[in-house]
Amino acid sequence: MAILATRLRFLDGGRTWLAVILAWGVFAPVAPAQTAATGEYELKAVFLFNFARFVEWPAAAFPGPEAPLVIGVLGDDPFGPLLDEIVRGEKIGSHPLLVRRYRRIEEIGDCHILFIGAAAAGWLGRLPESTAGRSILTVSDADSRAVRGVMIRFLTAKNKIKLRINLEAAKAASLTFSSKLLRPAEIVPDGES
Amino acid sequence: MPLRNTPIQRKLMLIILATSVVVMLLMRGAFFTYEYFTFRQATLRQLSTLGEIIAANSTAALAFANQDDAKEILSALKAERHIVAAALYDRKGGLFAQYPDRLASGTIPAVPGAEGYRFSNASLAGFQPVVQKGSQLGTLYLRLETGIIMREWIWGSVQIALAVMAVILCVAYLLSRSLQKQISAPILRLAETARAISERHDYSVRAVRPGDDELGRLTDAFNQMLGEIQTLNQELEQRVVERTAQLAAANKELEAFSYSVSHDLRAPLRHIDGFAGLLVKSDGAVVSERGRGFLTHIADSAKQMGVLIDDLLAFSKMGRSEMKIGPVDLHQLVAEAIQSMQMETQQRAIQWRTGDLPPVQGDRAMLRQVFVNLIANAVKYTRPRDPAVIEIGCQNGSTDEVAVFVRDNGVGFDMNYAGNLFGVFQRLHRAEEFEGTGIGLANVRRIVSRHGGRTWAESQPGAGATFYFSLPKSRKPKHENAQTHPLG
Repeated sequence: MAILATRLRFLDGGRTWLAVILAWGVFAPVAPAQTAATGEYELKAVFLFNFARFVEWPAAAFPGPEAPLVIGVLGDDPFGPLLDEIVRGEKIGSHPLLVRRYRRIEEIGDCHILFIGAAAAGWLGRLPESTAGRSILTVSDADSRAVRGVMIRFLTAKNKIKLRINLEAAKAASLTFSSKLLRPAEIVPDGES
Repeated sequence: MPLRNTPIQRKLMLIILATSVVVMLLMRGAFFTYEYFTFRQATLRQLSTLGEIIAANSTAALAFANQDDAKEILSALKAERHIVAAALYDRKGGLFAQYPDRLASGTIPAVPGAEGYRFSNASLAGFQPVVQKGSQLGTLYLRLETGIIMREWIWGSVQIALAVMAVILCVAYLLSRSLQKQISAPILRLAETARAISERHDYSVRAVRPGDDELGRLTDAFNQMLGEIQTLNQELEQRVVERTAQLAAANKELEAFSYSVSHDLRAPLRHIDGFAGLLVKSDGAVVSERGRGFLTHIADSAKQMGVLIDDLLAFSKMGRSEMKIGPVDLHQLVAEAIQSMQMETQQRAIQWRTGDLPPVQGDRAMLRQVFVNLIANAVKYTRPRDPAVIEIGCQNGSTDEVAVFVRDNGVGFDMNYAGNLFGVFQRLHRAEEFEGTGIGLANVRRIVSRHGGRTWAESQPGAGATFYFSLPKSRKPKHENAQTHPLG
């Protein structure tokens, strides 16, 4: 019947489309992120918050089901009040969001996302040993030569923010990245990030 | 051809075909309506499924403000050609990415609207939230052009409907062609039987009973009526034969009686005439001069009565004598009749006009008598005319009889009395004016009717008269057995 044919054609279209999407998920090229009129750090703050939605932490990373998901900032805070404003009242699942600032690497306690700004790049050398065995998503916008073992890097190029992801480091920290997160990002082997 | 004049077979087939077409159209209509709503629902479901997939894939692009990625995701929609527009709005409701790249302004709403897909004219469009981990990152807008799909679907449906209709019509035609015979065949057989009966008048034929239904009962009634007609017909014929025999017997008796009366009357009459004559011739002592005058009257009357009796005898003989049928030349008969009247006509100025007369079958002597009587009549009643014109001819027109006429310009008669003309002793004129016994035309009628023909006359007083007699072209013998046999 005509209607059946139309339906099949329709589904066919959907399936082709799905295949294309999935293919992209695996072989996604580096997609240039964009800096809007909003400030660079406002965007980075939003990104930090959004990582919480695309990354799965092991259950052991939270002391309880209602324990907060902590976003930590190491060293000088480039965000000012932006980050607090963005996460205010937000929840990921049953976990409320909390921002903590650490002046020294030794202060890092219960932390899920750790941002190491360019100003705190000095701590990067000690980062792998102090975060080893803990499920902390490390994010940095520091210069590449100094960065080792950071899972996600913000690269600013042509006025846009790109993501570079080190999947091996994430795996070592027992973090699961959503394939969707990988779509707009560039994936690099360990040691190159 | 109007339906009521169409043969019953075609009528039945038309009814069957029309019914199947109507039923089919109704079914098709119902099915079409059902399909239409199913189709809409399916389209809606498919579009929202597609929306879910797109939305799920767009989360990262929205979360990390990657417009290029968003555009690429949307551009994959080109695989579904009926999607004419799509858009992603960011968390704050601003337009983030659109598909296709170039769009007429106004195609995409500037801000996202309420969630859900709705049909509007020729398209299905709506909004769907883009959600990741329970929080909304943006909104997806999709617009599906349903007009083309609908047209394609309707065209497909129509094609299928036409194909199905063609097949059903073929099947219905073949079925109706054989099934209609169940009803039409017995009716046609009945009609054929009725036609055969009315053509051949054979009431012994019976229609075959097709079964125990209404047609069977109709056939029974038909056969029963035929039976009644047959019985009535037989009874009627029987009665006609009986009555004819009775009439013939009565007629025979009557004729025998009148013959013997006429015959027996002649002897005393001859005596009266004879002795009256003798008395007239005797000397004056026996009869006075006045008495002689009376006696002359008596003798004249007796003579006239003798003529009457002779004519009556001739008339009665005409009815009884056997007919000798053969080809007759009417021209010759007319010539002979005119010749026989020479005594009467030699002192008169008469113009004779004789037209074409066809040869006929009949008794020559009898037909000669017909012409003698009619022409004598014409001569008699044209006596006041100078010159008299007498025309004998044949009237054309009828295919199954020959109509001969004798026309004169004589005194004529009043048409009111035309019915009496051909009776015995019927006279329309006084004997003082025109002599005669009133038997001539009666004789004509008798002869002509024995030939199976008719007699009639037309006239206006003072303007002449026309006498007609007709003879059938193919002569059918009438019931003559009573007349052709001599008296017992």
